[in-house]
Amino acid sequence: MKKRWIDLGYIVTLLISLAVALLIGAVILAVTGHDPLKAYGALLGGAFSNARHIGDMLEYAMVLCLCGLACDIGSRVGIFNVGGEGQLLLGAIFAAQIGVWMKGASPYLAIPCAALGAMAVGGFYAFIPGYLKVKQKVNEVITTIMLNTVAVFICQFLAKGPWKNANKNIVAGTENLPSGFWLTKLVPGSNLSTAIIAAAVMTFFVWYILQKTSKGYEMRLTGDNPRFAKYAGLKTDRIVLITMIVSGMMCGLVGMFRVYGAEHIYKSTVSNEYYFEGLMVAMIAQYQPVPTIIISLIFAVLKIGAMGMETAAGVPKQLYLIIQTVVIFCMAAETGIRAGIARAREKRAARQDVKERSKGGVEHA
Amino acid sequence: MEEEIRFSHISMEFPGVLANDDISLSIHRGEVFALVGENGAGKSTLMNILYGINEPTAGELFVRGEKVTTFAPKAAIDRGIGMVHQHFMLVPSFTVAQNIVLGHEPRSAAVLFDNRKAEKVTRELVAEYGLEVDPSAEVRDISVGLQQRVEILKTLYRGAQILILDEPTAVLTPQETDELFEVIRRIVREKNMTVIIITHKLYEVMAISDRVGVMRAGKLIGVKNTCEVDERILASMMVGRPVLFDHLDKKGEPGEVAIQVKDLFVADNRGLPAVRGASFAVRKGEVLGIAAIEGNGQSELLEAITGLRKIEKGSVSVCGQPATGKSPGQIRQMGLSHVPEDRLSTGVDKVASVADNLLMGRHKEKRFNLFGFHQRRSTIDRYAQELYDKFDIRGAGIHIPVGSMSGGNMQKVVVAREFTFDTPALIISQPTRGVDIGAMEFFHTRIIERRNAGAAILLSSADLDEVFRLSDRIITLYEGRITGEFKADEITKEEIGFYMTGSRKEADA
Repeated sequence: MKKRWIDLGYIVTLLISLAVALLIGAVILAVTGHDPLKAYGALLGGAFSNARHIGDMLEYAMVLCLCGLACDIGSRVGIFNVGGEGQLLLGAIFAAQIGVWMKGASPYLAIPCAALGAMAVGGFYAFIPGYLKVKQKVNEVITTIMLNTVAVFICQFLAKGPWKNANKNIVAGTENLPSGFWLTKLVPGSNLSTAIIAAAVMTFFVWYILQKTSKGYEMRLTGDNPRFAKYAGLKTDRIVLITMIVSGMMCGLVGMFRVYGAEHIYKSTVSNEYYFEGLMVAMIAQYQPVPTIIISLIFAVLKIGAMGMETAAGVPKQLYLIIQTVVIFCMAAETGIRAGIARAREKRAARQDVKERSKGGVEHA
Repeated sequence: MEEEIRFSHISMEFPGVLANDDISLSIHRGEVFALVGENGAGKSTLMNILYGINEPTAGELFVRGEKVTTFAPKAAIDRGIGMVHQHFMLVPSFTVAQNIVLGHEPRSAAVLFDNRKAEKVTRELVAEYGLEVDPSAEVRDISVGLQQRVEILKTLYRGAQILILDEPTAVLTPQETDELFEVIRRIVREKNMTVIIITHKLYEVMAISDRVGVMRAGKLIGVKNTCEVDERILASMMVGRPVLFDHLDKKGEPGEVAIQVKDLFVADNRGLPAVRGASFAVRKGEVLGIAAIEGNGQSELLEAITGLRKIEKGSVSVCGQPATGKSPGQIRQMGLSHVPEDRLSTGVDKVASVADNLLMGRHKEKRFNLFGFHQRRSTIDRYAQELYDKFDIRGAGIHIPVGSMSGGNMQKVVVAREFTFDTPALIISQPTRGVDIGAMEFFHTRIIERRNAGAAILLSSADLDEVFRLSDRIITLYEGRITGEFKADEITKEEIGFYMTGSRKEADA
């Protein structure tokens, strides 16, 4: 493993694929009768034109990044946690309800309680597929996907039933979070709150543990080759299970951040399949923490910017979805692009070598 | 003698590797030509060119004076070239006859497979070449030696005049090897065929070949008449320096029992019994060798002892402590290290660096961790570099992924890690599989060093010579049962061969 903090080649290929995607998007825009420059201008404007947009963008990037990291740590030990969405929703609704229950308590007590509650619920919800995986060899992809659906229904039941908001206009939602528990907004009017500080600390710790500690080392070797790890004496089952639980705890905490930092109520809109976008980020980032952060930011700019594009340049929603997909496609192709460049370079070198050799007297076939 | 094949200035370049470097070689009709060289010397590449799998980047190939222009296996077969690969390419559920005609099946009514005719053709082939085998037997029911015969018949059915055998004796018992050589001699003598054998077993070169070509690092180092050389000369040519096959100096008397196995039953991956009631003990200061043909339970046996596989019945103890049902980690704690048979799947993490692989198992030690969790990379690197130098690992340093190293160096990483634990008991499986002669010497010396230092060593190897060279005692394993136990200096390879194929010591007595 080469010692490097950020791989320059990676950034270059990432930028190339992004440029290619925007170019394809421009063609689509032009064909459908929009001015690509104007549309892209609106996109950037949507993301950066004022503090509120920048705040929303950062909050969205935070959610993607944490979800992506939850996926990263799973992949490090060789599991694929697709159930983050369910863990996130359950974390959100429990955190919201804990806030409702603790109305009148000090926020210094309530907020940590809510965070712990959300982590416990998310962790438990990840423990189930983790345990099945380790003990019964049940494929975690299938169980986590199915448990997502279960979680959605549990949340619906709670939000429409026992924990329903007294307000008739809210069909499915918990009571509003007491305003004393709201996390302080960093940019007024936006979704950006102090949660991002906690998120930054978490991100740092995930990176630190994965890259710098002996636990991260054990996780890495377990994920690379579980048989080798077991042979060498690691308790691989335990490592996998704990990692799965931690992944779920992170997702649960994201749910809590959404409620306490942005929504101030549990509604099904706390997550609009955010975890799956985070998953995509992680995959494109090849499950590496630092690229996960970078790609989260790019995705957030596109997403928030696209809303601006719709309002300012009149580009219909469907079109920006297409562009977004192309971007994802091209960024996912990053690996392929890189391999292609490397292959071409090798081939050229080999051919050069043979040519020089054959000049030295060897007859040519 | 008439020239059958001529390689003229053949070069083959893969990205970054010059596998064949300007090779010119003539092979005569009716001779047995042995091609020897270490792993990665380019023997297989050269033969793949002859068989049409690779197209050379430069140079020309002539078969019976005709220049070869199309490189494809089908074209090669049409030119009368047949190749038997190291791993057989047979359909286990088909009969011998069906396998032989596969691809060129006799048909009745234009579309239907004519099984009767297939068997008739096979019988004719069997009679013509004297290769005894039952045409109607299913391939999965016949021995490996016979399967190889089917492979040879398959090439003959397709009209092969030139037969390429890639490591043909790797899976055979000594008896089967003798039979194979008999077959080769017969087809050369009676049918005037040309046989090329790729091998790294030098005594086989001496036994069967007329001429021998030695390859090293892509180059053809020399071509000799076999009668003019000996094993020592060939080995030096292969390695590029004198190789000392000196007697290994075994010292000391065996001490107390370190590995005790009692009435052990183990199942294989399909749940079928693989080890059926094995009992033995390994003492400190001795090497106990397991002689068995692949697939007779030795892999499962060693996995069970090391905790990687469940024990169905019986018990294992390591250094006096019960190890039955314990995890690999716990058994390591008792004092057992393990060089596993498949280093790629078990012995290393291919994508992790050499340093990380060398560290494994020691990564919790205080000196490598600050506050018990922060890895001290510089200390780790220093430790890894120390082992790297001590075990003469050759590669691009300790930071490259292990998977990018050659087999021999990868094995050195495994051995360096496992031997450095200095445990009283050691399990070593296939220590030199895919390792070249130069490194083989190195591993053997190291193993005997550990033995002389008082370690109990349980050794398993597909290479019978290796088992003989290293072991003090040998047990033979057949279908999961121990068929005999011998002192290594009181038995011959041929005798061992009988027990490896199921004769029991008691029955003989």
